[in-house]
Amino acid sequence: MEKKKGTILCVDDEPGILRSLQWLLQKEFDVLTASSGQQGLVLVQQNSFDVVISDQRMPGMTGSEFLREVRKLSPRALRILLTGYSDLQAILKSVNEGEVFRFINKPWSMSELPRIVGEAVAIAQAQSTSPMIEEVAATGELDSGRDTILVLDDGPAMPELLLQAIGSSRRILHARSLAAAVEFLSSENVSVIVADTRVANTDTTRLLKMLKQKHPQLVTVVFSSENDAADIIALINQGQIYRFVRKPVTVAVIKTVVAAALGKHKQIMDNPDLLKRHSVEMISADAETSLMLDVEHAAVRDHASGNQPRAGASFLKKATTGFTRLFRT
Amino acid sequence: MPFQLVRSFTIASLTMFVLVAAVLTVLKAKEGEFFEEAQSQQIRFFNSVQENFARQQDQAALRDLLSIHESANVSLARLFANSLWERNFAPYVARAQSLDVDACRALPDNRSAAGKAGTPLERKACFSEIGRKLEAFKEFKELDARVFEAMRRSSVFKVKVFDLRGITIYSSEHGQMGEDKVSNAGWIGAALEGKASSELIHRDRFSAFEGVVENRDLISSYLPILAPGSEQIVAVFEVYADVTPFLAQMKNTSDTIKNAAAANQSKVEQVAEENAQAIGRNAKYLLASVVVMLALLFASLFAIVRRADRIIVQQAKDRERALQQSAQSEKMASLGQMVAGVTHQLNTPLAFSKNNVSMAMEILKSFELPLKVAGAFGKKVAEAEGDYLTIDLAEMRPQLAGVSEVDADVSLPMEMLGDTLNGLEQMRELVENLGAFTRLDRAMLASFNLNKGLHNVVYLSRSVAPASVTIVEDFGRLPMMECNPSQLNQVFLNLINNATQSISGTGTVTVRSRTDGGRIRVDIIDTGSGIPDAILPHIFETYYTTKAAGAGTGLGLAIAREIVQEHGGEIRLETTPGVGTSFSVFLPIAAHSSNNPV
Repeated sequence: MEKKKGTILCVDDEPGILRSLQWLLQKEFDVLTASSGQQGLVLVQQNSFDVVISDQRMPGMTGSEFLREVRKLSPRALRILLTGYSDLQAILKSVNEGEVFRFINKPWSMSELPRIVGEAVAIAQAQSTSPMIEEVAATGELDSGRDTILVLDDGPAMPELLLQAIGSSRRILHARSLAAAVEFLSSENVSVIVADTRVANTDTTRLLKMLKQKHPQLVTVVFSSENDAADIIALINQGQIYRFVRKPVTVAVIKTVVAAALGKHKQIMDNPDLLKRHSVEMISADAETSLMLDVEHAAVRDHASGNQPRAGASFLKKATTGFTRLFRT
Repeated sequence: MPFQLVRSFTIASLTMFVLVAAVLTVLKAKEGEFFEEAQSQQIRFFNSVQENFARQQDQAALRDLLSIHESANVSLARLFANSLWERNFAPYVARAQSLDVDACRALPDNRSAAGKAGTPLERKACFSEIGRKLEAFKEFKELDARVFEAMRRSSVFKVKVFDLRGITIYSSEHGQMGEDKVSNAGWIGAALEGKASSELIHRDRFSAFEGVVENRDLISSYLPILAPGSEQIVAVFEVYADVTPFLAQMKNTSDTIKNAAAANQSKVEQVAEENAQAIGRNAKYLLASVVVMLALLFASLFAIVRRADRIIVQQAKDRERALQQSAQSEKMASLGQMVAGVTHQLNTPLAFSKNNVSMAMEILKSFELPLKVAGAFGKKVAEAEGDYLTIDLAEMRPQLAGVSEVDADVSLPMEMLGDTLNGLEQMRELVENLGAFTRLDRAMLASFNLNKGLHNVVYLSRSVAPASVTIVEDFGRLPMMECNPSQLNQVFLNLINNATQSISGTGTVTVRSRTDGGRIRVDIIDTGSGIPDAILPHIFETYYTTKAAGAGTGLGLAIAREIVQEHGGEIRLETTPGVGTSFSVFLPIAAHSSNNPV
C-alpha cells in the first residue's frame, strides 16, 4: 500500500456522513472520524492532522466552536466547515474565531471535495517545518509598525471611528469609491484594507476577492450590514477575508479587529510561507471583466461629482492603468 | 347584537330630541296655564273689587236714605209734637193712662200654642179692647182728623204713638190701636234711652192714609217725643215713610253701575282671552321653530355621524385586510424558517447518499472487466468438451492485466448502498412529516390524536432549532379529540420555535401532554431567558414583536391565541426571567363546546 498524502479528521453527528466521507477520502488520505466535537478534540490532541473537516450543526458543540478549539490546539491544521443550512451567526463565528480555510456546502461535489482537501493537505504539510506563529496576539494592542490602512466605505463615520480606535500612528486612506480604492492600491503600499461590501451602490466583494488572488499579503477586514450567509461564504472561499463584523460597530471592536489584522499582516510579511494558507479559489474571468467595468463607472461618477482624489483630465485612463497595474502584472 | 354607530346615534338623539320637545311643550303648556290662572285671578280680583264697590255704593246710598228719612221723620215727629201736643196729644195721652193694661198683661201665655213668643189670643183681644176704648175717647176724633189732615199728600204712610207703658195709644191704621209694644226693640230704644232708630222694610200690602198700597219699600222710625220745653220723654212716635221711588232710583243707579262693571268684566275677559290666544300662538310658533331647528341639527349630525361611521367601517376593513396580509406573511415567515431547517435536514442524507451512489457506481464499473472475464470463462467452460479447457495465456495476459487489481469485495458497495437506503428512509420520514404538517385540509377532524400532531411538530422543530437545544417529548395518554389539526400544528410550531429561540447556548424544551380536569393540556417548557415584566403584558398583542424589523411580524402569539380560543381553549403562561418560560395550552376534548351542549 502506497504512502497516503496526509492525515485528516472528519467530525459529524450523522454516521452516514462520516462513513461516506471516509469511503471518499480514504484512498488518498488517512481518515479518522469522530461523531462529536468533544470526541474530535481528543483525537486532535493525540494526532497531528493536516486538515480537519467538521459539520456545523451538531448537538453539544457546534462546528464553529469545535474549529475554534482546533485552531488553538493544532494551528497547523487547515479547517474546513461543512454546512447544510447557513446560519449567519455560525458562519460569522467560523470566520472570525475558526478562521476557516473553506466552507463546503452539503451536498458536496464528489470530484471537488478531495481536490480541496488535497490542496489543504499540501499547504499544511508545506508548513510542517515552519515555526508555529499562527496565533496573532489577541491583546488588541498595537505594535509600532508604520503601515497604511485603506478604508473603503462611502460614509464618513468609518474613518473617524478608525482614527478614534488606533489613533494617528498609522496612515489612514479613505476611498469612497472603487475607482479611488484602485488608485490608492496601485500607488500606495497598503497593509490592511477595511471595507464595506457595498460602496456607492457598487459591490466591492469582487475587488476584495481579486486583491487576495493577486496580492495575498493584503489583509482584508469587512464591516458590513450584509446578512446573506452565501455572500460571506464566498468572501471566505474566494477572498479569504480575515474578519467579518456586522455593522454597526463600536470603537473597541474596530480596535481589536484592526490590531489583529495588522498583526496578521506583519506575520505574513515575516513568514511568506504562510501566504499559502490564504490561497483562494480563482474567480471567473467574467467577474474580472465586470469588476473592471465597475471601476470605470465609478471613475466616471467620481469625476462627475468632483470626488476623485486627484484632479486630472485623464481620470479614466488613470483608473484603467491603476487596475492594470494592480491585477495584470 | 353588535354596536352600530348610526343606529345607536339615531335612537339616542331622536329620543333626546323627542324628550326636549316634550319638555318644552309641557313647560309652554304650564306657562299658558299659569298665565291663564293669573289672568283669571286678576279677573276675579277685578270682579270682586267692582262688586265690593257696587255693594258699598248700595250700602252708602241706603245708609244715606235711612239717615235722611230718619231726620225727616224726626222733623215730622217734632212738628207733630209741637203743633199737636199741647192741644190734642197731651190730654189724650193723659187720659189713656187711665186705662189699665196690667190686667191684659197678666193673662197667661198660651204655652200649648205653636209660637212660644206668640201673643195669646185672649191677651190680643184684651189689648184690642183697650184700643176700642181709646178710639171711643172724644179727643180721638179730632186728633185723628188732624193727623190725617197733616199727612195727606205726604210720603208718610202711617203714624203710630206709644205711651211710656208701650201701649199703642194711636195708629193711623185704627185696627192696630191698643197693641202692646213693650218688648219691641225700637220702642225700648226710644222710650228708655231716648234714641231714634230706623229700618228699611218691604211690604207687599200696606194700609196707608189714602187706602191700601201694594209692594212698597218703607222706612219706619221709632222716635222719642219730648214734652215741649223739657228733656222729658213723654211718648214714642212710629212713622212709616214711603221710599219706594228713592229705592227704585237707587236700584237704577246700582243697576247702571252693575252693567258698567259687567261691561268692564267682559272687556277684561275678552282681552284676557285674546292675550291667551296670542300667547298660545306664540308658544306654537316657538315650539314649531324649536322642532325645525332640532330636525336640522339632527339631520346635520346624522350626516356627520354616518360619514364618520363609513370612515370607521372603511378603516376597520383596511385594518382587517392589513392584518390578513400580515398573518399571511407571518405564515410565510415561519414557513421560510421551516424550509431552511428542513433543507438542512434533507441535505445531510442527500449529501452522503449522493456520494455513496456515485462511489458505488464507480466500484460497480470496476467490476465490469472481471465480470466479463468470468462470464467468458464460464461460457468457455460450458462449451468445453471433456474435463480440460485450453486457454492461450499469452493472448489473454494483456487483457486480464487489470483484473487482478480489482478489489472484488462486494460488501463495500453493498454498505454504501445500504447507507444510501438509510438516507432515503430519513428523507422519506422528513417528507412524510412535512406532508402531515402542511396538509392543506382545513377541515375539523372528529377524532384526532394530538400526540401524533405534537410529534410531527416536534420533529420539524428539531430541524429548525439549533442543535444545542434538546427538544424532549413527554406525551401522556390522550383521548381522541375534535380539532383542526393543521391550525393546532401552527400553534405548537410557533410556541416551540419561540421556546427554542429563547435559549441561547444549550438548553431544553419539554413538550408535555396530558389530560387535566377534563381538558387536554399541552405544556411547552423551556429553560430559556424568560419574558421580562415590561414585555409580558404585550406578548399576545397584534403586531407586538421583540425581534428586529423584518425578522418577525408580531402576529405569532396573537394568531396562536386566536386559534386556541376558536377551539374553545385557552393559553396560559408562567415565566421567570433567567430561568425559563412555560406555556400551557388547554383544549376541550370536544372542540367548540359551546356548539355541542353536553
